[in-house]
Amino acid sequence: MNLIPYAPWLVWAFPTLSSLLVLLVALFSKKARDYFAVIVCLMAFALAFSMVPDVYFNALEGLSLTAPWVPPLNVNAGVCVDPLSVLLACLVTFFGLVITVYSLGYMAGEEGLTRYYFFMLLFIGSMTGLVMSDNFLQLFIFWEMVGLCSYSLISFWYKRPETVRSAIKVFLMTRVGDACLLAGIGFLYADLGSFSFSYIAANIGKVPMPHLTTAAFLMLFGAVAKSAQLPLHTWLYSAMEAPTSVSALLHSATMVKAGVYLVARLMLLFGSLSALIPMWLPTILWIGTVTAFIGATLALSTPDIKGVAAYSTISQIGFMFAALGAASTASSSGWFASILHLVSHALFQGLDFLLIGGIIHATKTRDMRLMGGLRNAMPITFTFSIIVLLARAGIPPFISFFSKELIFRSVLWSGNFYAAVMLYVSTAITFAYTLRVTILVYLREKSEYLKQIHVHEAPKIMLLSSGVLAATCIISALLGNPISRFMHIEIEIGFGEILKMSTLVFLFTLLVGGASVYLTYYSRISLPEKVKRLRIALSKVLENGYFFDTLYEKAVPRAVSTFSSGLRLLELTFFGELPYLVANGVIRFSKIIYEHVENAFFNRLPYLFASGVLGIAHATQKYLDILVDELLYMVTHKTLASASKLRKVGSDSMEHYVAAAIIGVLIIFILILITFTMLR
Amino acid sequence: MGYTLLLVMVLPAMVVPFVYFVGKKSFKGAAFLIVLVCLADIALLLTTVPAILNGVDHRYVESYYWIPVLHASFTLFVDGISFSMAIITLILILAAALFSIDYMHERKGLAEYYTLLTLLSIGLVGVFITSNLMLFYFCWELMLLPSYFIIGEWGYREAYRAAFKFFIFTHAGAIFVLLGIGAIFMVTGDLDMFRAKTALMAANPEFVKWVLLSLTVGFAVKMAVVPVHMWLPDAHSEAPAPMSALLSGVIISAGAYAVLRVSMGTVFPAIMGTDFGGMFLHGLTVFGIITAFFGALIALVETDIKRIIAYSSIAHMGYVLFGLSLFPFQEPVTGTVLHLVNHAVSKGLFFLSAGAVMKQLEIRDIREMGGLAGKMPITATASTAAALSIAGAPAFACFMSEFIIFVGAFQTINSDGFYLVPTAFMLVATVLSLAYALRFLSHVFLGETKHESAIDPPRYMKLAMIILAVFTVILGVWPTFFIQLISSASLL
Repeated sequence: MNLIPYAPWLVWAFPTLSSLLVLLVALFSKKARDYFAVIVCLMAFALAFSMVPDVYFNALEGLSLTAPWVPPLNVNAGVCVDPLSVLLACLVTFFGLVITVYSLGYMAGEEGLTRYYFFMLLFIGSMTGLVMSDNFLQLFIFWEMVGLCSYSLISFWYKRPETVRSAIKVFLMTRVGDACLLAGIGFLYADLGSFSFSYIAANIGKVPMPHLTTAAFLMLFGAVAKSAQLPLHTWLYSAMEAPTSVSALLHSATMVKAGVYLVARLMLLFGSLSALIPMWLPTILWIGTVTAFIGATLALSTPDIKGVAAYSTISQIGFMFAALGAASTASSSGWFASILHLVSHALFQGLDFLLIGGIIHATKTRDMRLMGGLRNAMPITFTFSIIVLLARAGIPPFISFFSKELIFRSVLWSGNFYAAVMLYVSTAITFAYTLRVTILVYLREKSEYLKQIHVHEAPKIMLLSSGVLAATCIISALLGNPISRFMHIEIEIGFGEILKMSTLVFLFTLLVGGASVYLTYYSRISLPEKVKRLRIALSKVLENGYFFDTLYEKAVPRAVSTFSSGLRLLELTFFGELPYLVANGVIRFSKIIYEHVENAFFNRLPYLFASGVLGIAHATQKYLDILVDELLYMVTHKTLASASKLRKVGSDSMEHYVAAAIIGVLIIFILILITFTMLR
Repeated sequence: MGYTLLLVMVLPAMVVPFVYFVGKKSFKGAAFLIVLVCLADIALLLTTVPAILNGVDHRYVESYYWIPVLHASFTLFVDGISFSMAIITLILILAAALFSIDYMHERKGLAEYYTLLTLLSIGLVGVFITSNLMLFYFCWELMLLPSYFIIGEWGYREAYRAAFKFFIFTHAGAIFVLLGIGAIFMVTGDLDMFRAKTALMAANPEFVKWVLLSLTVGFAVKMAVVPVHMWLPDAHSEAPAPMSALLSGVIISAGAYAVLRVSMGTVFPAIMGTDFGGMFLHGLTVFGIITAFFGALIALVETDIKRIIAYSSIAHMGYVLFGLSLFPFQEPVTGTVLHLVNHAVSKGLFFLSAGAVMKQLEIRDIREMGGLAGKMPITATASTAAALSIAGAPAFACFMSEFIIFVGAFQTINSDGFYLVPTAFMLVATVLSLAYALRFLSHVFLGETKHESAIDPPRYMKLAMIILAVFTVILGVWPTFFIQLISSASLL
């Protein structure tokens, strides 16, 4: 059956969905759950590998690999089947398989393993989905999902406060990068109206240069944060709180490579434009070079065995970034060197972590100062660790020799002499710190601490998966040419390359690094006082990781929390109380009104009014009485007076008297009547 | 067909007395009655989907004779935006009712509680499905009264104090709203949102300006935009958990919906393109940033389990305001409405899970908690889903909507350079939101176990949390249904 139309989808959908099934299977039996996870990983690896022949023979022309997803935004879900994606998908699923098998031994007997396998499968699915995405929306979702899985897996031992704090730090620091990546994607979408890789690659010329520059730098910053490059590298060391199997899968072999993948992918998308973006490639080159150096020096100074592995990862990814920065286009040797180094680094670093897991398992400590003499107690682990030593140093014919050589060559060709020198120095230090670990852990005398406990070889199942990786490491020496053909890049990587002048220079560099460590531990040369003081100062700087963490863990959080506390105080005292202040003010005002206006005035107003009316009534009564009396008197008086006049006028006519008297009485009667009515 | 939307409004109203009398006998019965009504309403609303997708203007309208003097007819309508808001409201009420069964069972006066909850649901759904401003205002006030009593009577600590603050603030806001609505009626003689929009185009822009400001200020109080957010932290944290979920999930979203529908949809077109129009949008952006940072920063140092979530609500209204200020671009508006939906579900879940923790432990200071993940696995899972959604992590609801808002913001930058700096600020705010979400999770659920006897809450509380958690994940993975509906709605 030809899987090709389905394999690119299934390879990430299958583990992602199976992660939910883990929860179901766990209900029946714990053993079934563990083996279910292994089988899922095996099938994912088979699916990934099934895509290889078709990509190799270019059998995918014209195949539709999208499906509608968010139609209003013009987004289709899709898969990208090109050499880069498929190579990384194979790598991710291969490591997923090996490390899940390793977990059977390493994590045996832990509590919460359902959660562990759930997130491991979800991670493998998301990581494969990330490299298989054919658009930025999907890529960003998976990008965040792997961050989420990383957070959940780091905080696997959630009862340790230190672990919880580290997990938060890791998630937050990578989130800063995610926000930048989102911004970069937004810039591209704003100009092109599409997230699709193929559309962007075809129309990249339409984006104005300033926008392209901004987007490229923002996305680079996202990649830098995810891949733990300077200045956001410190999270990787904190991530070492995770179980070692998690560190092996997420924090060395796969997830941290997402940044390298993203930059490599961007170069494919930008095509010839990537060299035209001002300062973009040099920035990548120098970030990589400086990180490679700083990471190597930190690895040389830390006493923590996992710390060495973490800083070494940072440093080696720095090599990959430097190579990408030296590439002008996606088909040049720098680009390929970076991908090749990605593969070779995953192999030896993964193996290194698996061995460290066994050592921590046996000695119950991460501190190398408490170790020593493990070559007798753990002979197989020791043998494998020699492979790590040789592979990490880049001794020919390990594949890392070719990848490192290719990196040096491409950096030199790009004309960055100083960067190349710095990378050579970093390589010397790389050999030095690996040798130091070997001496401290395996070669020197047994420590007091180890004499008290019984140290045993790692369980068989762990040795089995380490063995598989060790074998792959050795076989990989032959893989250089197949990979370059698979990537359709015309760079010959044969053993003939070893017989060159540059190999000698390289080996000499390693010798210098190795000799210095050897002398430090095995011979007692007394150093001059000045050098000693310098060494103490230097070790102070190194112990504090160049003070990056002082900034991230102390200064920034303290500033934010001080500011927030200030705001909270403002909130509680001002905003929280303001409504009550206003309400109290209103109430107080109302009281004043009540006392002075209402009680003093309005409440008494009806009485005032009533008494006023009464007063008027009294006054009226009083004065009206007098008035009426006066009037009566006046009228009577006038009447009498006119009557007496009348009598004088016509005393003879009796009728006049009678009439006048009647009228007078009438008037008086009326007046009395009026007075009475008025007074009633 | 024909009476679908009327039924959606009338059904809860008719059930109110039944809820009361059933509640007197058995509070469980009352809660299930509410659940049934919600389910019936959801089913009724779902029947309108074809009409929305294929209808004229992508709307489904019902109109009834009502108050002729005011030219007010009882107009109900749904378009993609209203539909999404109404559906999510009903889902939240359903979950709140279920959650209340176990959460409230030892409290007194449960018949009254469920009756008030039913009353509240009329107003909540009504606000989203009417296009008549008079009816809108009626429902707007109907949201307020039952919530005042629920917070006051069944809340914690100084509940009536918080409820009073809530009431005074939102009522003061409502006055501005009423002022605006009155002004619209004065100018246009019409109270229908869509007809008024056309009529306002002809009005004097100087006047329309004030209408817009008055309405927006009124709605902003409900939305809890800094500096008129003061009612929110108290009301959210003192209310019983189901009410907090509704307050934070729906009631403040109603404010945002009103800004979008009335301020932006009805009034804003009249002054779009003028200088003031641009200034107004930029002003919203600035307030959005202030609100987002203010909420997120305080959530980062707050120690009260519910106040953290309350402040995160403020922060998220900042995002919404930012999204609204990108009006009238299609993507940001779609993203904003989707964010309201997603935020409602996630924040509802967040409050319910916090309520479960509070109920089981009877403490509320997160410094006294720790290691509960092993003891309360379902609550922990639900809370983690909610917190990560709030933080904008993918596979959970809010990620998708935030992503769309940001993509829209970058499109807007191309036509208006002003938005460059605000967008950068909002990206920083997403980091802060992850910070407080992780701080919450690590303090409450991770670390050393401090409460050995803690267990998961009873089954109905679990059921409510599971329902919302499932929605949180579904909306995160497959938002297509809502996106299609929302983007079909035309605001201009």
